[in-house]
Amino acid sequence: MNLAGMTPEDRDALAGEYVLGTLEAREAAAVAAALPGDAALAEAVAQWEARLAPLTALAPPEAPPPELWDRIVASLDPAPAPKPRRSWLARLRDPWRITAIGGTALAAGLAAFILLRPEPAPRLMTVLLTEQDQPAWLVEADGGGIRLASLNPRPAPEGRALQLWALPQGATAPTSLGLIPAQGRISVSPATIRPSPGMLIEITLEPPGGSPIGRPTGPILFIGRLAPATGS
Amino acid sequence: MDAATDLTPLLSAVANGDRQALRAVYERQSVRLFGVANAILRDRDSAADALQDAFLRIAQRAHQFDPDRGTAEAWLAAIVRYAALDMARARGREIPTDDPALGDQPVEAEALERVSASAEGRRLHQCLATLEERNRRGIVLAFVHGLSHAQISARLELPLGTVKAWIRRGLLRLRECLA
Repeated sequence: MNLAGMTPEDRDALAGEYVLGTLEAREAAAVAAALPGDAALAEAVAQWEARLAPLTALAPPEAPPPELWDRIVASLDPAPAPKPRRSWLARLRDPWRITAIGGTALAAGLAAFILLRPEPAPRLMTVLLTEQDQPAWLVEADGGGIRLASLNPRPAPEGRALQLWALPQGATAPTSLGLIPAQGRISVSPATIRPSPGMLIEITLEPPGGSPIGRPTGPILFIGRLAPATGS
Repeated sequence: MDAATDLTPLLSAVANGDRQALRAVYERQSVRLFGVANAILRDRDSAADALQDAFLRIAQRAHQFDPDRGTAEAWLAAIVRYAALDMARARGREIPTDDPALGDQPVEAEALERVSASAEGRRLHQCLATLEERNRRGIVLAFVHGLSHAQISARLELPLGTVKAWIRRGLLRLRECLA
């Protein structure tokens, strides 16, 4: 979709369709990504929002689940990591033994992965925005791999690191995908999780070397949810 | 208490990181906003996920709310709709649309009364009334229930191209009528 090459009339209609919600994922993502740098388009979207807003009254009001506010608070402040409990197995055996068991299990998992050759998954993507809604990072995933590219490279603050995390839907704690190198690109194939639609991708500010506890300790700087890149 | 005059200062407090203000916004608006998300997703669990996403965005973007450009209620509802639509798209919009009540009921008197509660709503209602029935239904199905062009075309048994063209025509006629 070439936004710049459109007539003003077509751009206004596109803004209307964006607000109406009929655009497919890729078109909607293109409009959302263009908005911060395109004041005229943003104005057209704001006008359509104002025109159509009274229609939201057609949705019957309904009480949300009672625990939802607590979930919102929990996602605003990622909880500190629970103290790892040493299992009876860990107490009985020395750490090297555990690592060996883990390694075997991992190898078996890899073999199963290679043997089973899962169905090719749809390409997923999301754009992580800054607080000012500037597109900052492009995240793409297909198969088991996740790629992150900076759209607006800026180094991490002095003495801090940017760490990438994935939170599959239904999971209670995010999984680290690693530290983001200075050049702003990273490509990973996590062993324990598979990219899936709805998975949250987030970047947090951490001490050098990354979070020492395996869960985010610093603020979430960027966040987005993977969605299928339809039409591609 | 008037929701519109009430919400604007709350949102500026939210912009300054005031958690109590965010909670107050939630308490005043969550029933209405959960309804907006649930009308699009038609699944309470997904609607709760969408409302959670939306409140993260509200906390992050409250400083962007500009009372000169629209009401706080409209701003909040727009964020919830985009969060719900993102989720609907992420699920490939595999949301049952064969509920016979869908999109036919909104024209019920009580719902129209809610739309017409504001001056803007009354004007929009009058302008919608000038559209052909199928244009009006297409716009309502899309806006309220998050149906894509393809789903509307399946539901109203009309070719996709036709649906796209007359939804666009309906929007442009609305814009003229409201101008």
